[in-house]
Amino acid sequence: MNVSTIMNPNPVTLSVTETFGAALALMRDRRVRVLPVVDLQGVYQGTFDFHDVWKTLLPKAVLLGMDSLTDLSFVSDAKDILTEKLAEASTRSVGEFLDVPIEPIHPETPVKEAMLLFYQHDGDIPVVDRKTKRLVGIVSPWEIIDSLR
Amino acid sequence: MNHSAAQAIFGLNPAWIATTVFIAVYALVISEKINRAILALLGAGLMILCGVLTQEAAIRGVDFNTIGLLLGMMVIVAITGKSGVFQYVAIWSAKKVNAQPVGVMIMLSLVTAVFSALLDNVTTVLLIVPVTLLITEELKVKPYPYLLAEILCSNIGGTATLIGDPPNIMIGSAVGIPFNDFVIHLTPVVLVILAATVVVFYFVWGKELTTTEQARRRVMSFQESEAIKDPRLLKQSLAVLGSVIAGFVLAHSLHIEPATIAMFGAAMLLLLDNYHRTAEEQAHNVHHSFAEAEWVTLIFFLGLFILVHGLESAGVIQWMAQQLLNATGGDFKITAIAILWGSAILSAFIDNIPFVATMIPMIKSMAPTFGGEQALMPLWWALSLGACLGGNGTLIGASANLVVAGIAERAGQPIRFVQFLKSSFLLMLMSIAISHVYIWLRYL
Repeated sequence: MNVSTIMNPNPVTLSVTETFGAALALMRDRRVRVLPVVDLQGVYQGTFDFHDVWKTLLPKAVLLGMDSLTDLSFVSDAKDILTEKLAEASTRSVGEFLDVPIEPIHPETPVKEAMLLFYQHDGDIPVVDRKTKRLVGIVSPWEIIDSLR
Repeated sequence: MNHSAAQAIFGLNPAWIATTVFIAVYALVISEKINRAILALLGAGLMILCGVLTQEAAIRGVDFNTIGLLLGMMVIVAITGKSGVFQYVAIWSAKKVNAQPVGVMIMLSLVTAVFSALLDNVTTVLLIVPVTLLITEELKVKPYPYLLAEILCSNIGGTATLIGDPPNIMIGSAVGIPFNDFVIHLTPVVLVILAATVVVFYFVWGKELTTTEQARRRVMSFQESEAIKDPRLLKQSLAVLGSVIAGFVLAHSLHIEPATIAMFGAAMLLLLDNYHRTAEEQAHNVHHSFAEAEWVTLIFFLGLFILVHGLESAGVIQWMAQQLLNATGGDFKITAIAILWGSAILSAFIDNIPFVATMIPMIKSMAPTFGGEQALMPLWWALSLGACLGGNGTLIGASANLVVAGIAERAGQPIRFVQFLKSSFLLMLMSIAISHVYIWLRYL
């Protein structure tokens, strides 16, 4: 059993030229949390997910991952600022948000490797052809669980 | 030149071997191609393997008082930092000036200076800069003037005490200068330099810093008490930190070395932070507290002490001191001023730790020329002021500068070398000019 036998071969995808706002709308409409992003040739470029959304909305200082600022329990929520940030981000292309792409897996990758990746971080994992680098599918935890029943 | 007790390989002159190894390590440290701790260890190893020093002599060259003091303070600060007290003070200080951007800049600069006087500069900026970035983002003001002020005030504040900056720890330990003497002789001039620097920031950057009423209210609504993550740990940490500082003040009269006080304080705080935990939790927690120490710096010190001891035992340091005395004509006043300005300019471009490590035995060897060890005191103050304040000259002048630049870059607010140099070098020269007047009037 490898990834090719369980993956969803027709994932919802996003073009690098789409906007942040369009990406969010697509995630809401299709009820997905991770969108693989491809170029015009279908070559995998990265993923767009809620991590990118939070990164845009949160103060930069807290994203530095420093021990001296690990929580925001002392700040106040300012809806106006967050609304403004979201509106500003909505017109930018998703290509600008793909700084840390999730390392994709391949159709021949063992399912156990996919399980290990799910254990290490949450979120669907894109499946990419090793030679052409084209996106060929996506795997979610449910595809593994369903294949075991 | 003297020969060490060890036998140099191939019958070579140990002075040449020691000089070659030292210059090679120094050049590679400056190039920043290889981590400085690796280089110092390699250099120290070569000093022994090439027969300049025996292993016993190398160990005798290590100033464990400096290393113990640094390690002890690093552990204390690592544990104290977990309580959230530093964020509390930063937010409290910003609110004290009604979150007015200029006031926030001045308050955060002063907080940085005070923390730096009592803690390591790098630790201080690691604690203050993330909160600063958060506040400036909320105020929608450029963080650059704030970060620049914090870098400069960190190095200025660190100059004020024995424990504020590694050069002072090294000088204090090597010469046996107590904590109180640093406060008596350096704190007054540091306060003048700090005030002058803050005034310059007020007039040069103050007018540019404006914000909206709404943004100001956002910062004013911060609940600093929420930043305190562990009130119990906070009380314990402040009690230990306070006792350690009191210990430094009393150390000389009690005949206790600063390293003993810092290490005992660290052990006490580790005990208070762990006695109520399970064995497994203790193992994890103690490991984390020790891992927070800057081992690269400590190992760098270790290797460096051996390298400098190699130079010393091969007679190179005495030769260098003689050259400096020849250049200044053996005149005490010229020597003091030359050490002040020379240290400042060199420390702006090279790491002040190896520089001070080299200068200490050089100055010590001048004692017979200038009438004994007590007569050398103004030279130690000149070295401290030059080496510590010189670090403000460029972005690469001190570790704290590079740490802030690194954080700023990751936060999307890069600090450019030339942009920094234009302001910092002039302010560094101003601080050295003030120090020059101070040394001249008080000691020469």
